[in-house]
Amino acid sequence: MTTVLMETRSLCRYFGGVQAIHELDLEVRAGLIQSVIGPNGAGKTTLFNVVSGILPPTSGEVFIDSAPISDLAPHRIAARGVTRTFQNLQLFSDMTVLENVMVGMHLNSRGGFIASAFKLPHVWKEEQRIRSVSMDILQFTGLEKHASRVAGSLPFGRQRVLEIARALGAEPRLLMLDEPAAGLNNRETSDLSELIGRIRDRGITILLVEHDMDLVMNISDHVTVIDQGRKIAEGEPDQVRNDEKVLKAYLGEE
Amino acid sequence: MTFEQQVLQFVITGITVGSTYALIGIGFNIIYNATDIINFAQGEFVMLGGMFTIFGMNVLHLPVPFAALLAVVMVAVFGLLMYLSAIRPIKSPTPITLIIITIGASISIRGASSLIWGKEARRIPAFSGNEPIPFFGAVIQPQSLWIIGVVFTIVLILRQFFSRTLTGKAMVAAAFQPRAARLVGIDTSYMVLLSFALSGAVGAVAGIVIAPISLVTYDMGVMLGLKGFCAAIVGGLGHPFGVIMGGISLGVLESLGAGFISSGYKDAIAFIILLLMLFFRPQGILGKGRGNRV
Amino acid sequence: MKVLSWLKNPYMGFVLFTLLVLGIPLVVTNQYYLGVLVIIAIHSIIVLGLDLLMGYTGQISLGHASFYGLGAYITGVLSAHWQWPPLAGLAVTLPVVAIIAWLIGMPTLKLHGHYLAMATLGFGIIVFIFFNELGPLTGGPSGLTGIEAMNLFGVTFDTDREWYFLSAIFLLAVLLLSINVVRSRVGRALRAIHGSEVASGVLGVNIARYKVGIFVLSALYAALAGWLYAHYITFISPSSFTFMFSVKLVTMVVIGSLGSLWGAIFGAALLTSMPEFLYVFHNYETLVFGLILIVVMIFMPMGLLRGIEDLIAWSWHTAREVFNPDSSEELS
Repeated sequence: MTTVLMETRSLCRYFGGVQAIHELDLEVRAGLIQSVIGPNGAGKTTLFNVVSGILPPTSGEVFIDSAPISDLAPHRIAARGVTRTFQNLQLFSDMTVLENVMVGMHLNSRGGFIASAFKLPHVWKEEQRIRSVSMDILQFTGLEKHASRVAGSLPFGRQRVLEIARALGAEPRLLMLDEPAAGLNNRETSDLSELIGRIRDRGITILLVEHDMDLVMNISDHVTVIDQGRKIAEGEPDQVRNDEKVLKAYLGEE
Repeated sequence: MTFEQQVLQFVITGITVGSTYALIGIGFNIIYNATDIINFAQGEFVMLGGMFTIFGMNVLHLPVPFAALLAVVMVAVFGLLMYLSAIRPIKSPTPITLIIITIGASISIRGASSLIWGKEARRIPAFSGNEPIPFFGAVIQPQSLWIIGVVFTIVLILRQFFSRTLTGKAMVAAAFQPRAARLVGIDTSYMVLLSFALSGAVGAVAGIVIAPISLVTYDMGVMLGLKGFCAAIVGGLGHPFGVIMGGISLGVLESLGAGFISSGYKDAIAFIILLLMLFFRPQGILGKGRGNRV
Repeated sequence: MKVLSWLKNPYMGFVLFTLLVLGIPLVVTNQYYLGVLVIIAIHSIIVLGLDLLMGYTGQISLGHASFYGLGAYITGVLSAHWQWPPLAGLAVTLPVVAIIAWLIGMPTLKLHGHYLAMATLGFGIIVFIFFNELGPLTGGPSGLTGIEAMNLFGVTFDTDREWYFLSAIFLLAVLLLSINVVRSRVGRALRAIHGSEVASGVLGVNIARYKVGIFVLSALYAALAGWLYAHYITFISPSSFTFMFSVKLVTMVVIGSLGSLWGAIFGAALLTSMPEFLYVFHNYETLVFGLILIVVMIFMPMGLLRGIEDLIAWSWHTAREVFNPDSSEELS
């Protein structure tokens, strides 16, 4: 059995009277591509926000490597190897494509205020290393031609890929992708699917939130379905696809 | 005077001055609640209240109450104009831009004031004379009673306004949920205008009511505005009752400090309390945890 | 155009600026004007720091005059009362100011909103009052005299010409340091925070630490400037370190463009020399500063320099369109 990388237990997140997530138990196993799906408003992005430390849970707990993380700030959670992308794109639009990825490498690089101010030799070398590794990531994701372009000037589909490339800079163990296919056309979506596969092949666990059913069913090893903040089904894609509860949640009562 | 009588005297002074701080702080809160803007020019509304009253008295030869009323209206209009000319035209209102603009407005008004009215101090006579009223071994100036009375009257009026009248409730709604407010037909931009006008009026009242005690100068707004701001923060920025608690406690502590420790450091007391509040309880006495962690 | 991109390299700009700075005394020999340039250099140092703070973290300090003042008074008191040499005074000033700035920044920069503005406002006024009240130590409102002239390793600086070079060297050093910071991992992290706080947090950037770091750095720049100032004029009084001066510093940043190092120097130079040209209109100073702030914020919120840059870029672009309508731009 593969190890459990991240897990939530009885996780609840309420916004006043709205139960965005309720008693959610989720397990993410290392090395697999897992997806979370559900109708709109099901609580998927809230789940990501709680796991990445942007929102605190109302109750319940999130574990990474069996250690609780719910009161940690986002940057500390990132230091434990968990990174995410955003549904509504949070690129550093005034910085270049390359610089975006270089920021992604922040955790894997060194150089504080004093060392940087005085341009000490090890900072020099470190800059070269950061730059070169970032270029490698851009090549891996097919963006190397755009390295010196301002991120905000990229076409939308490439911006989505850039956000993933940037997250890769952190060398995460768990990469959470929040609707990476939203707004992509068919060709871009299949490129994305292939990219996600290659990321998994590098040993990175993937947790995916998506609406695009084809994408989800094709690449996932495991699917969890949530509706109104609660888990209603989980299992392999085929099991879930035909589950009655899932159909009802998506299509409503017959 | 015995020690207790001294303390009482300081407390009386403190409540008097603190009420003014509270009133100025209310002005901050009104604009902050409606727009999230911290209006650094609030203190100048106070100054203009005094200046316009004197204008009414000396140039238009109006009796003091009418001059005061006119001044309040004039400053309300001024607040509106300030919003329309300096704040509304901003295309992308980031918080840093707004702070800079209101500071710019504040020093512009002050600069213009020094040019128009000069730098000398001016007087408004006390509303009902200067005969001190004995009170348990201490004395109360009649003006103090006016100040406390006026402040509390205004607080009550505002409370009624915001909770009972349609316009008041609309303002609260628009501040809370601008989109929802617009959906039910509330003109949110009108509400913002109203908040500036109201804030101007409240500031003017504060200036008029404290003028007999502290005199009117072109730069009186600086310290008063900042201390009113402290009152609002200490009480909880935006909180209607917090600011009163904040103002009065600030006034009393300041007065006691000046009396027993040193009068030179008097002005520092309010700001030291401000800093302590920001460090240990940034949401203020009555504020709700608005200090979200990064 | 290859040449233009070569020029855009800030280190190139630094070299050109250095040449300019070294060349000025060949042209300007009037002691008075050199003295003004010294003050411009000193102000520029403060404004560089404040610019980094405002441009990269979007926070305002409304009390930077206090760090400037602390820099001046700590060394001034040590020098006037106990004859400490200037360098020793600096060695005390910098750590003390760093600690104070850290104490103010730590709690306030963790929070969302403009708590730093409020805290620095309050702190600035408190410090000003203390400068006035601690008479025996600071000389009170009439100021502190008897500060030693600048003396570094046995070399005394007392003419304006010598001071011009001294202050220029410090300015160049601080500028170089700033360019290094901006172009480093630290600078990227700061720009990332500015671009999207939530994304930078999730990528591992310790946002509070960087904001505090830049705030402390900006306070240190101001303290250094204060140290220079004290040993230049050899007399300091609280009236140089008022809330109004803090506002002027913010105005200099705003004029110059937030986040632009050259803009910081430009803003400092413009607003420091302005009263020299308008000394007749001294009474109008307050009003003029206020109006500048308002006008710039409404029409050029990115700062005057950036506004001019955009204007030039727009004119250039329009001119190219007019004269060469078929020139193909890089398509996306």
